Formats: sequence, C-alpha cells, structure tokens
Amino acid sequence: MGRLSLGHGSGGRLTNDLVKKIASAFARESGMLEFEDCALLPGGWGVTIDGFTVSPLSFPGGDIGKLAVCGSANDLAVRGVRPLWLAMSLLAEEGLDEEELFTYMRSAASVCAELGVQLVAGDTKVLPKGQADRLYIATCAMGKNEAISPWGIKEISPGDTVIVSGPVGRHGAVIASLRYDIKLRELESDCAPLWPLIEPLTRLLGVHAARDCTRGGLGTVLCEWAEVANVGIEIDEEAIPADGDVSAVSDILGFDPLYLACEGTAVFAVASEWTETVLETMRSHPLGRSAAAIGKVTEAHPGLVGLRTSAGGMRVVDMQGGELLPRIC
Amino acid sequence: MPQVGDLRAKMSSLLEALNKWLCGPITVMEVCGTHTVSIFRSGIRTMLPKDVRLLSGPGCPVCVTDQAEVDAMVSLAKKPGVVLATYGDMVRVPGSCGSLAEARSCGAEVAVVGSAIQALALAESMQDKEVVFAGIGFETTAPATAVLLREARRKNVKNLSVLSLHKLVPPVLRLLASDPTLVIDGFLLPGHVSTIIGTAPYAFLAEEYGKACAVAGFEPLDIMAGIVEIARQICGGRPAVRCLYGRVVRHEGNVKAQELLGEVFRPASVRWRGIGVVEASGLVLADDYSDFDAYSRFGITLEEVNPPAGCRCGDVLAGRIAPLECPLFGGSCTPQFPVGPCMVSSEGSCSAYYKYSSKGVSPWGA
Repeated sequence: MGRLSLGHGSGGRLTNDLVKKIASAFARESGMLEFEDCALLPGGWGVTIDGFTVSPLSFPGGDIGKLAVCGSANDLAVRGVRPLWLAMSLLAEEGLDEEELFTYMRSAASVCAELGVQLVAGDTKVLPKGQADRLYIATCAMGKNEAISPWGIKEISPGDTVIVSGPVGRHGAVIASLRYDIKLRELESDCAPLWPLIEPLTRLLGVHAARDCTRGGLGTVLCEWAEVANVGIEIDEEAIPADGDVSAVSDILGFDPLYLACEGTAVFAVASEWTETVLETMRSHPLGRSAAAIGKVTEAHPGLVGLRTSAGGMRVVDMQGGELLPRIC
Repeated sequence: MPQVGDLRAKMSSLLEALNKWLCGPITVMEVCGTHTVSIFRSGIRTMLPKDVRLLSGPGCPVCVTDQAEVDAMVSLAKKPGVVLATYGDMVRVPGSCGSLAEARSCGAEVAVVGSAIQALALAESMQDKEVVFAGIGFETTAPATAVLLREARRKNVKNLSVLSLHKLVPPVLRLLASDPTLVIDGFLLPGHVSTIIGTAPYAFLAEEYGKACAVAGFEPLDIMAGIVEIARQICGGRPAVRCLYGRVVRHEGNVKAQELLGEVFRPASVRWRGIGVVEASGLVLADDYSDFDAYSRFGITLEEVNPPAGCRCGDVLAGRIAPLECPLFGGSCTPQFPVGPCMVSSEGSCSAYYKYSSKGVSPWGA
C-alpha cells in the first residue's frame, strides 16, 4: 500500500480502485455496495453524501455553496429520487471572511429554495490556519424515489441508446481555465440542479440508468457502466454536443473533454424505442436543450467503450488514469 | 467533438490519395508526442493501409527526460524551503527514489505550472522559499524559460532558479537517421518545434540521409496530409523537407525566439533517456545567466543512472521496438503503476497504445 496521490481523487481508475478497497473493509457489515451515485433504501428513500473542495471557491456559473447542494441533489436525481432534505457540514479555515462564507451559504440556500429542499441538520468546524484550503463543504441529501421503473447500472442492456443532456466538460474547463490562467469571456460552469430536467423522465418507462458526469467526466461514467454491466458501449464523437470554449481550453491544455467534469450535465441509458420520447422531454427543458443521442449499448466488446472519431477512425475510451495535468507543448 | 462537418469526407479523399501514391511498405516516424496522441485519439491508425507503419519518435518531452534528471528534480523538491515548479505530467514520472507526486504526498512542495512565467509569480508570492523551475521540453518550451529568466533578471528576483533540462530535436534526428539498424523511410516533423526553428535545420535529413520529411500540424487532416506527402516523396524517389503547416510555420522560423534562446542558453551535450548522450542536443544556461542556474546554486551534478530493470523506453523512443514488444508493457508497467516515462506521459507512446487501443490490442483495429 502506497500513499494517496491527487490522482486518487480524480474520479478515474485510481479513485475507482480506492473506493472498492474502502468498501471491502465494510463488506461484512454492509454486503456488496452498488457503486451508484445514491443508495436506494427500504421504503422508497434515497440517500447520498458528498464532499466539496474547489479552488477558487467562486467561479463563473457558480460557487462552492451552489456546487455543494447541486452535487448531492443531482446524485439523488440521477436515480429518480426527488431531493427533499439536506444535512451540511462546513469545515472552514481560520481567517475566512464571514461575509464571503455567507455569500456561499445564500447561494446554497437559493438552490434549496428552487428545489424545495429543506436544510435539516448541520455542523460547523473551524480549523487552524494552514490546515484547510479556506472552505470545504460536505452535504448529505435524502429524498423519495419517484421513478416508475428502477434506474441503475444493473438495468442497462444491449440495444439501449446513450443520451447526454448537454455539452460535456464545462465545469472542468472553467476550473482549469482559472487554475492555469486562461482568459475566457463567455464560458460558464454548467453547475445546476438537475431535478427539474429529470422529474418528467421519472414518469417514463424506458429510462434504464442515469449518471451526472462529475469528476472523470462522460468518459469515466461510460467506462464504469461498460465494466459493471458487462456490456459494450459505442459512441460517435460527432454526435456529442460540443462547446467551442471547452474545446479551446482542452486543446490548449491537452485535455480530452470526455474526461472533464460536468456539474449539470448527465448521461442516460434508454431503451431504444423510448429514445425520441426521452429526447423530446429533455429538450423541452432549458438544461436539456442540446440533449443528443450519442451512441448505443452493445453485446459486442463487453467491458469496453469505443469511440467513432470525427475523422472516421475508431478508438477505445479508457477510464482516466490519474490527475488531469496540462500538456507540456 | 471538433465541428468539422465534412471531416470524414476529407479524410476519405486523403486516404484515396495515399493509396494512389503508395508503392510498397513504408515506415514513418512521427517525431512529436503530440502527433502520437492525435494519431491515436483520432483513430488514424485504424484507417491507414497495412503498408503504412507508424513509429513514435523521441518527441515526448517527459519521455526523453533522463532518470538522473528526474532524480535531480525529486531531490530538489525534497529540500526544505524549496518549491519545485514544473510542467504537466512530469510529476508522475518515477525516478530512482519515487516520483515528484510521491514526494509531494510526503510533504515536498511541487507546483504544476501551465507556463514558465507562472514560476516567477510563485517566487514573488513566496519570498521565504526558493522556487526552482525545472524547464523541460524542446525548442517549443525553451523560449518560455528564456522569457522567465529575462523577466526574473529585470525584476531582480533572487529566490528563483532554473534547472534547464531542455533538449533540441535536430541533433537526435541526425542520430536516428544515421543509425543503419533503424528502418525509417520518412519523418513526420513536429509542428510546434518547427514554429521556432523553421524548416532549414531539417534539410540534412533529406540531403544527407535521403529521408522523406513533412512538417505537419496536429489536426487529423494535417497528419493524414503529412503521411500522404511522405508516401509521395518516398514512392516518387524525391526525398525533401516539405512544410504543410504554413499557417503557423515560416521557413526561417521565429527569429526573435531564436535570438532569445541564443542570449539565455548555450548548447551542451546531454543524456536522453534510453538513447544516451547526444552531442549538442541540450540547452544549459549561458554564462550571463549563471546566477539563476539551479545546478550551481544547489550543487547538482547529473550522474548516469541505470533505468529500471526490463524498461525499454529508450528502444521505444528510438523506434527500435513498438510498445507491445516491451516485456513490461501492460504487465508490470501500466498507466496506474508505470515503470518508465513512456507509460506515464500523456504524450508517451506506451500510454497511447494502452489507453486508446485497450492495452494495445483494439477490437476495432490497429
């Protein structure tokens, strides 16, 4: 056993392996965990927990407060669970400006109000200077499962259409552009609560699985699906909704938008005969305006994701190996 | 995701042209790591006729960084009060005693920068620390290091130094072209490096060694056009150096950048990982900038270090073997647990084989 590296937190292969190792320590008490974004509990409840660290704390399109509520609420939403209650833990560094903290809290509260989510429990800790990077937030969200058919990786089957709700990689591209000092005039994080987009889909039979493409991006989610459901997935690069600024940042830094984080874009596996209905439903909501079918689930090549490139070639999409780092030249 | 509607059609016509020119098996080395990645990411390997063999060359800046140079970076990062700043995935390359990433997880201060000049801002904001910028890369990144040094001098910044590990492309290409054991018919020359040096420094490849050469950009169409051009030269029996990247590269290159390099650096014989010492293939600080030289400031000398047992990154970089022929590939050497830099770097050919073709054997071809 080595030491943890930043790559263990990247959401890719290293994170996946680490989470499995942690879960195995609980296997006797908890049985086999499902590795979904949210756990479905007896009685139709869903629960999830997440920790949020972002630098800088405020970015075009959001801040850590908005991110903390959206992140947990979206983890519920992608299993068809309506977010209802929230518990929040703040870990703040000594010296953080109080007004700044309340800005983030007002931002978090505004998303709660939009979703009808109630804050029901909380905790606040202040750490000595140097022991935290200004502010960390952990949120636990709980809600009621409203999907009329179960949503989860186990439901994915060959023939399903893969749909994304919008352009991928916007959150990751915004954070990268700030971190590496690349000036962009218009690009904003896609950080947004997904429940309003997803709620109408819970009443459709054909949705088999959904996932918000957070750390590790679309590429990592699809790899996880292919491996866990033991299916092949083939996607078409030209069909994936693109954002010009995301492509530009990715080109400059040498990143692949497939692995850049989204905070308000989700991917769905949908029975093929429901493809048009799901697309139409999504496109009627602003968050899903550019929703697109990008590929299909196959019996061939189980465990692998293949990408038909814009140039016409074919390549494998593998899970992100470690920390995303800018290229050298 | 590129929004080029008719890209597939244009690629098809280039493929037709390639098939028209091709007169037998040809081996083309793509010198630049960015070309390697673009070739894999766009699936070009799955589209090429079987008679076209592509080899990845020594143009991945991380891959050619010698083990002793990695060790020097790690030992500097571990020094109390030192912040080691460098580019991208250099931090993951294992040295003899771990990587920069491992040193960081044990408390060493390692900063990843997107551009050299960010090291100056670091030094200015951390007056109580010694910031060392490990400058790696070829003619492409060296001017940025030169600008950093000029600015540091202008601002009289005392707590900054540079560990120059920069390398030059033409000398290593001469080494490869003159090696009778290597079968390389043509070189796809690096677009970014050529932006700085122009096309003249490659003339010897065609004139002295009869190699077909094309300077190409990094989009799939650029690369395919480069391969077509190389096939045309080989099969037409007229090797030359042709620039297909005229929108960026001028024959004379970037003269200002060349002057800057001449002011701040001087050429030196340096060791390339797995390839050995190549005469006049590196850049060290000129005497006028010696007060910023991390080698003398911290008493660093680079000793020859053996690479890890079984690691054949050097042979991969020289085009002697394909990644799959390395006994460690995909077994004890994977992107999660890399043994050599070709598996670490996002521009490394082993990493590209592993990532983009399912551990080297893609069910979708090549």
